[in-house]
Amino acid sequence: MVGNIIKLGWKNVWRNKTRSAVVIVSVVLGTWAGIFLSGLFVGLAQGYLDNHLKLSVPHIEISEPQFNDLYSPEYYIPASEAVISELQEITFIEKIEAESMTTGLVQSSRSSFGASIHGVQSDTTHVIEQYIVNGAMPGLSEERNPVLMGQKLAGRLNIEMGSRIVLSFQDTEGEITGGAFRVAGIFDTFSDPYDETNVFVMRDDLNRLLGLNNQIHDIKLTVDDISQAQNYADQLKKQFPDLSIQSWGEIAPELRMMFNLMDLTMYIVMIIVIIALVFSIINSMLMAVLERTRELGMLRAIGMNKSRVFSMIVWETLFLTVVGTPVGLLLSWSTVRYFEVYGINLTAFASAMNSYGFGTTIYPSLPPVYYLNITLLIAIAALLSSLYPAWKTLQLNPVEAIRKFN
Amino acid sequence: MNIMAVIQTHGLTKVYNQDQVPVHALRGVDLTIEKGEFTAIVGPSGSGKTTLLNIISGLDEPTEGKTIIRGTELNSLSDKELIDFRLNHIGFVFQSYNLIPVLTAVENVSFIMQMQGRSAEEYHKKSIELLKEVGLEDKIDKRPSELSGGQQQRVAVARALASKPDFVLADEPTANLDSVSTNELLDMMLELNEREEMTFVFSTHDQRVIDRARRVVTLVDGKIDSDEKR
Repeated sequence: MVGNIIKLGWKNVWRNKTRSAVVIVSVVLGTWAGIFLSGLFVGLAQGYLDNHLKLSVPHIEISEPQFNDLYSPEYYIPASEAVISELQEITFIEKIEAESMTTGLVQSSRSSFGASIHGVQSDTTHVIEQYIVNGAMPGLSEERNPVLMGQKLAGRLNIEMGSRIVLSFQDTEGEITGGAFRVAGIFDTFSDPYDETNVFVMRDDLNRLLGLNNQIHDIKLTVDDISQAQNYADQLKKQFPDLSIQSWGEIAPELRMMFNLMDLTMYIVMIIVIIALVFSIINSMLMAVLERTRELGMLRAIGMNKSRVFSMIVWETLFLTVVGTPVGLLLSWSTVRYFEVYGINLTAFASAMNSYGFGTTIYPSLPPVYYLNITLLIAIAALLSSLYPAWKTLQLNPVEAIRKFN
Repeated sequence: MNIMAVIQTHGLTKVYNQDQVPVHALRGVDLTIEKGEFTAIVGPSGSGKTTLLNIISGLDEPTEGKTIIRGTELNSLSDKELIDFRLNHIGFVFQSYNLIPVLTAVENVSFIMQMQGRSAEEYHKKSIELLKEVGLEDKIDKRPSELSGGQQQRVAVARALASKPDFVLADEPTANLDSVSTNELLDMMLELNEREEMTFVFSTHDQRVIDRARRVVTLVDGKIDSDEKR
């Protein structure tokens, strides 16, 4: 009998083709919208994370413990060459960047702004190179005291390539010092805040003004698996107990929070979409039940027990969802895959996106396990949305429903 | 106890709206219907026909009195037992046919046997036999919307007989039929009544049905006014 109840439920789905089609289309669109929005959000958040982990936040950062608090140049890493040698022996470390660093004022003839001043080596590559839109890295310039700065900062200082600027900061003795630099390169990243607050000079030039030799303040490490960054940092802490070692999650807790909230937010988006779907399904099924009051009353009268009537309505509801969900999943998978490859170009909103540190191309992405979880969520939602109409059916009084024998 | 009795009612009383203004639908109805009877229950609107048939079918409960079907007192059955009892002992024919629109004629007839748990082979064979008996062997795969009113009512009769009931209750079965269809339906039911000794109980206003009934029970104001056997 179960098979016949299922068969009857399936046939009932197609009794009112238009209404069923509307529900099925809404399931398709709901599934698609929920998954695509989730993919879009994951892509946006993942892009934001990737960009910042490539550019401004290292996977692991090593410094002298007090340097992080005060940014005073006298707190350089002691015996840094030995530290770097040891780091070079560790297999999970893919890249090591060492720089001297301080904070100070960048002054043009018109105005001045605060910035982090990075002293980079001329013989190592730096991620900022790929964002240079004019000129070159300081190490490749033939100018004396070359400086690389962001386009945004250059605009605010009203300077251009070849212009002279003055960098002022404290030296290791606590005295104000500074030097004249010439703009040898301009970079333009996806993040306006970064472009406005970072300048790059030769490490030797910076150290000379700071009163240092070849000391460094900061070692940035790129590791083979970013999800293991915290474990790797903990290992390094044991190896270098006198140094401050932080993973990206400790350096930028807001990024870690975003990483952790990615899943939660995606499911919240999906649950909102599913709640809308549930109400749409309940509404349609209630209409279907009310339209068939007489027939359902007749079935009860001739001997169809409550559990069979209940399961028939549950099956009808499940079928409505079962038909729409695979189509919605396929559609959303195709859409996410397409844009995962080709991206969604939001250049039109570049100004707003860059001001918040987002790239202008979003690559939606959703791991396969999420499709499975979303399918389960929809199945649960379909089951839940079938219960009320089915329960409502059981409340029918067969005598009133069929108004018989008169 | 009358061993030939299919339906027995004793002192059936039904009062609606007891707490406010009581309406006495039945006032002590004693009725016995024996196997093979072809009975019409007639009477003006409000005379209690509906209430009597509701109580006989176990769809409603009397305020007082009892209904015994083939020795089983309906009042003693639980809700679940009552549903099973209706499934296995009572055939229903409704005024508006009330077939399941998404099923074909043969599926409509089979459905009740499926609910009884009979085998696929048995219910399929029996459904076709029944549809042949009601003259619809060429319409077995038609849906109700593809059949005339008379044909739908024949399918309904076949469905009512499919459960091998003790009796068939028919609610104004000819109310929506033209005279040709009415006569054909009555001929068919009378033939089943004679050949199979199937007990039929009708509620009707239709004089054509009353004229051909073998027993006519007339209700007035909730009481049996006359009981004529022909």
